[in-house]
Amino acid sequence: MATKTASKAAFDWAFVPARPGWPRRMARLARQHPAGLFGLIVLVLFVVLGLFGEQLAPYPADELSTGTPLQGPSLSHPFGLNQLGQDVFSRIVSGARISFIIAFWAVFLGAGSGAFLGILGGYFGRWIDYIVQRSGEAFAAFPGLVLFLMLRTAFGPNLKTIIISIGIGALFGGNRILRGQTIIERNQIYVEAARAVGCSEWRIFMRHVLPNVLPLVVVIMSGAIGAAILAESGLAFLGLGPTEASWGRDMSGTNLSIARTGYWHVVVFPGIAISLVVLGSNLLGDALRDIWDPRLRK
Amino acid sequence: MRQYALRRLAYVPLIVAVVSVLTFFTLRLPFATDPVLQYTNQNTTQEQEDAIRAELGLDKPVLQQFAIWIGDVLQGNLGETFRSGQPVWPEIQRRWPVNFEILLLSVGFSTVFGVAFGVITAVKQNSPTDYGFRIFAVFGQSIPDFFLLILLIVLPSIWWNYSPPVGGHVPFFKDPYDNLRLYLPPTLLLGVGGAAGMMRLTRSTLLEVFRQDYMRTARAKGLSGRQVVVAHGLRNSLIPIVTLLGGHVTALFFGSLILEQVFSINGLGQFFLVSASTSDFPVVQFLVLYSAVAIMTMNLLIDLSYAVIDPRVKYR
Repeated sequence: MATKTASKAAFDWAFVPARPGWPRRMARLARQHPAGLFGLIVLVLFVVLGLFGEQLAPYPADELSTGTPLQGPSLSHPFGLNQLGQDVFSRIVSGARISFIIAFWAVFLGAGSGAFLGILGGYFGRWIDYIVQRSGEAFAAFPGLVLFLMLRTAFGPNLKTIIISIGIGALFGGNRILRGQTIIERNQIYVEAARAVGCSEWRIFMRHVLPNVLPLVVVIMSGAIGAAILAESGLAFLGLGPTEASWGRDMSGTNLSIARTGYWHVVVFPGIAISLVVLGSNLLGDALRDIWDPRLRK
Repeated sequence: MRQYALRRLAYVPLIVAVVSVLTFFTLRLPFATDPVLQYTNQNTTQEQEDAIRAELGLDKPVLQQFAIWIGDVLQGNLGETFRSGQPVWPEIQRRWPVNFEILLLSVGFSTVFGVAFGVITAVKQNSPTDYGFRIFAVFGQSIPDFFLLILLIVLPSIWWNYSPPVGGHVPFFKDPYDNLRLYLPPTLLLGVGGAAGMMRLTRSTLLEVFRQDYMRTARAKGLSGRQVVVAHGLRNSLIPIVTLLGGHVTALFFGSLILEQVFSINGLGQFFLVSASTSDFPVVQFLVLYSAVAIMTMNLLIDLSYAVIDPRVKYR
């Protein structure tokens, strides 16, 4: 990027340094927020495993007898083998898929529509806002698990039931925060100024209010990924998830009984995988909030 | 205040009514799972199926079913389970002390440790202690509770050849020692996630309060550091703490299910799970209603406690 050249004006503009280009600014942000960078890397890895895990795994997830059953971690099987001789590492790599699908849809649909309704309701208010707020209050009396078990009774065990019940939690979680933030922004002086110079309501909303709340949507979504994965793996652990290889499921049932007899590697590695992804999501969310929320900036 | 409390109190049955209507009709949506399928196979004739449906009371129009159910519940009759035909109430009565104890212990642990650590980290802001506890909190919020419970079972058996007791609920008043030996370690771990959240909230609220002028005044009039932190700092941070406490109770209301599963305890969570998997409508309906009533009442009490905590709070 070219520096501003000197002009004949009273100021010597040549001394004003140009804004560094975006790769540099990104590098600086990464340096200032190492934990956030770690979270970003973990989440990118998670997305890659979620999309291509089955191709990347050294063994198919369900292939039996890839070695001596229950053998501990070794070079050819870094996380060891379970009681069926399945490679634990491969099961973790391919098991990311289920977590990814559920977390993606729950966050995309749930937190996304929650953000949409929260921003619209916060700015324009009226009946949408009223309905969403009252449903949110009713939902607050519903623990997530109760909602899920109720929906499961009605619609049986399938992926949609899981995504919907986790998504509803994400919807009301993000909705309240965004609504509050939108109301704060709506009452700022710059909005009044925009109105005074004759901007239409729509323009004020699109050009002034929306850009100020959108970063918060990204913050909420990156934190919501972790919450969704925690909920999903908890359900899988209870045997309520899909029957395919998944992290939570691999820690329950026979694997858990086997682990009780001393074969810790069967359940510990999937648990570390879940914890790591949730940790990454939390760290990234915290870092993004620090970067975008000027009031928290030190 | 009294006006507000009464209005909120009137609001509780309204929400409870909405919740029970929603639950009742969602379970009976035309495309929902048919509970009769639980008791039939390919050899069941149409007459047999109709007989089962009639026995479960599912042959009547939905509105009539609802009227019968709500009438029974209002008279204190929760009906019989589909699965065994046993009355629902004794099954609940037998199990709820387990859940109550798990809830009480884990929420208690998360609150006590969360607030204590929050105060320590806020007072010693940016010290090694502060960083240590904050790292603990970030990890505590990321590790799934069931993973911690699994580690509790797996690791001591490897390291010390000791395994914590599993299964066999003993009522607390019958044998406090055996009871606590079973429940204390897992509930402590179940409270870790909550403690981490509570610590972060307490810390940030306290730091906010520490900046207020009245804190300096309290110091200037000669109160000791400890008195200032507890009587002025903590007192003014109580509202968000109590709010989050309510959130923890809601989250753990059936969160004990994880603990019941790992430690083979037959509590309400397990009952709920089995009933949901076998489309046992009367049980599911009641448990949803029960949690809605309990949590709404708790939220009301929390809202009213704000005025006790902070006399400046006025209800309209």
